[in-house]
Amino acid sequence: MNTLIEQAGHVPDFLIDDIKWQQLIFSNNSQSLNVNVPILTATQCQRLSDHIKLNNTQFLKKQNTTTIIELIDKAIERLLNRSDPFRLKAEKLLPVVTGFDTEMIRLSLTDYLKNFRKPQLLRFIAEDFSNPKILDEFQPIIKGGFAKAFGPDCLLHIWAGNVPGLPLWSLISGLLVKAGNIGKVSSSEPLFASWFVQLLIDIEPRISDCLAIVCWEGGNTEQESVFLNNAEVVVAYGGNTALKEIQHRTPITTRYLPYGHKISFGIVSASVLDSQKSWVVAHKAANDIARYDQHGCYSPHVFFIESGGNISPRTFAHYLAHELSCLQEKFSRRSLNVNESIQLAHWRDDETLKLLSEPGSEVISDKDGLWTVTFTEDEGSFSLSGLNRTIRLVAVNSFEKIIPLITPYKQFLQTVGIAATPTEVFQLSEQLGQHGVTRISGLGSMTAPEAGWHHDGRFNLLDLITLTEIESSAEVSSELYTPYKD
Amino acid sequence: MTQEQLINSILEFIASDATTEMDFNKLAIESFAYQYENNIPFRQFSIQQGSTPRTAKTWRDIPPVPINAFKSVLLTCCEPTSTGRTFMTSGTTQNGVCGKSYHPVLSVYDQSMIRNFKNRFLGDADKIKMGILFPDTDSMPNSSLAHYLSLALNNFGTESSSYLLTKEGIDFSRVFENLQYAQDTNTPYAMLGASFSIVHLLDEMAKQNKTYSLPAGSKILDTGGFKGQSRELEQNEFYEQLSMTFGVPRNKCFNMYGMTELSTQFYDNGNAKCPSIKTGPHWIRSRVINPLSKTDVKMGDKGALVHCDLAHFNIVSTILTEDAGIEVEDGFLLLGRVDGAEAKGCSMAVDEFLRANQ
Repeated sequence: MNTLIEQAGHVPDFLIDDIKWQQLIFSNNSQSLNVNVPILTATQCQRLSDHIKLNNTQFLKKQNTTTIIELIDKAIERLLNRSDPFRLKAEKLLPVVTGFDTEMIRLSLTDYLKNFRKPQLLRFIAEDFSNPKILDEFQPIIKGGFAKAFGPDCLLHIWAGNVPGLPLWSLISGLLVKAGNIGKVSSSEPLFASWFVQLLIDIEPRISDCLAIVCWEGGNTEQESVFLNNAEVVVAYGGNTALKEIQHRTPITTRYLPYGHKISFGIVSASVLDSQKSWVVAHKAANDIARYDQHGCYSPHVFFIESGGNISPRTFAHYLAHELSCLQEKFSRRSLNVNESIQLAHWRDDETLKLLSEPGSEVISDKDGLWTVTFTEDEGSFSLSGLNRTIRLVAVNSFEKIIPLITPYKQFLQTVGIAATPTEVFQLSEQLGQHGVTRISGLGSMTAPEAGWHHDGRFNLLDLITLTEIESSAEVSSELYTPYKD
Repeated sequence: MTQEQLINSILEFIASDATTEMDFNKLAIESFAYQYENNIPFRQFSIQQGSTPRTAKTWRDIPPVPINAFKSVLLTCCEPTSTGRTFMTSGTTQNGVCGKSYHPVLSVYDQSMIRNFKNRFLGDADKIKMGILFPDTDSMPNSSLAHYLSLALNNFGTESSSYLLTKEGIDFSRVFENLQYAQDTNTPYAMLGASFSIVHLLDEMAKQNKTYSLPAGSKILDTGGFKGQSRELEQNEFYEQLSMTFGVPRNKCFNMYGMTELSTQFYDNGNAKCPSIKTGPHWIRSRVINPLSKTDVKMGDKGALVHCDLAHFNIVSTILTEDAGIEVEDGFLLLGRVDGAEAKGCSMAVDEFLRANQ
């Protein structure tokens, strides 16, 4: 096994010679990789924060939004170009870091990065600002007066998880509002954000002093506190326990935007369960399950299948199992370490034991546990899958049965993938929205949110900015003091 | 086979010094047949797993029951009565349900413990003065560990042996008196208890700046890990501190690995090197498997531990643990319990979901 070495992170030149590097070791798919990430002392964290804030006001804040969009667009274009050295590196190293299938990463990256080309970035802005120029200069507003949106001088991102590219969502949002950005990479995937920043600097060297990508051990309060105390806005991802701890350490005057772990699920209407469409639906559902092995917050845990179609929910469960076994040939599931295997076996064995008391239920599984479909007719059942290509199918007589099951988990719900008629989609969406679901997608698109998606129902850019308003009184009274006043 | 016949066969097997692999397999399959016959959920489970006493040829063919099943299914071959004993798992568990093992008689458990403990911990001495850092059986009647330690104390402890844990916690002054006495009179001393209680004692001794140099023949037995009840120590650090604080060499600091779902314990030969190799007596066998495919992993690879314990006759003899381990030439390395860590992605994992619902 040969060991590859990669440098992650970014700190501006003035600090680069003084910092220490920590090695993160990854081993997957018969390759190993050592990733060096920058670790700063508390004093260096303070110096870095001061530097970013100062340079942000001197450079990034003075750029107009179109220039920033074009800069991001150029960087993304390179990441989409399969012969660009950064893209080649991403395709080679991300499978080693995350263990995900190489081909799946390649396809998913392209799908994801397409969201950040110039037209899509314009959409991001248009979603949040009816007049995008408000990011560049004071603009007239409807109630009277003028307003301008200011991004924070220092925006701290605390990223988590191993889904490649995830940090881009908040980092690009930060750049669009001209924020100075400091990002803490996840030790499960420290590379993508680092490469993106290196690309930006390649294209526009002056941005080097407005950005930093660093790392520290989660919960290391000394370094984290310095950054938390300097940031105007903190965007944090992770489990609720970790998020609560960060919140606890964040000053009350700092805006804190936590993105916790979520539960997503799918719904299949009886109206699509005929002999022609069922296979297509099963294929799409399997794709949503296999994409990043359900590690995304938008990945399904459960599918509710409505009874009464030509194809029964039980038969559909077998269709889905077949599709998962085919996908295993195409994109193999990442190999699990022993702890993950034991946890997954715990979930699957529990489901198998339930069969002793639930005769109508089924567990359909690959012999090596590479995928598992469980099927139950117990409509009172809402529990999670074991992730890593395991899915629970629950047969329901009507969609009405779903709502009481999800009601207790309102704060955790996110995406629902639907295969149903247009009338059903709108009827269901009304109820789902009321009960906490923030995104409804077609099956097969659960893991690929559209550009400008309001993550967890929030505003990507509006949540980051503050508005400064010139009220009409200031405007009117200033007229009194003009030299041309009669 | 009746319960009495099975018990007699097992007791005879435990007492014997000359059993073969074939003898073990024969009794394992007989126990499997007995459990298959008398325990309906286990029979259903075996059929579901595609293995029955007719098809199983060796203990490796017996379907291992996941320990979580002890929480959801009543696994016993006879109706529980007031004359038997039920041991329950400790700690908070799924929906407040804990795993149970019902023992209609304790003679097999006791015989298994006594013979093994004498061989592996006590060595040449007949008795030794003991201090127990764990509650007694009156305080914890459903704890298999409390019962185990009471057997140790009653069978192998000198008259001056005692429990050192009160309702208020560790009786530190009593512990220090005991240690001082052992040191002053050159009387070997054995301290046994939960690993986390021993850490609490270490912490207190560090605070008071106390160390002892216990005489030769003294030993320490810890078990159960830290379970979040004390600070977590690396094994090497733990045994180093034990050795430095009590003056007991690391090869006389033993770790016992046992569980409520078994009636036999595993020991190492001291912890001069960590992780130490665990072995059990001739009436228990272990395998290391891939928990998903249920097949053996290669020797030296990590996997989940499966144990076939003939002494656990009334429940099920063969269990699939959630302990990670590695098979080595003369036993296995115990890598510890896999608890529900959060998943690596941003989708919610089952354990986080259960915690959120508590």
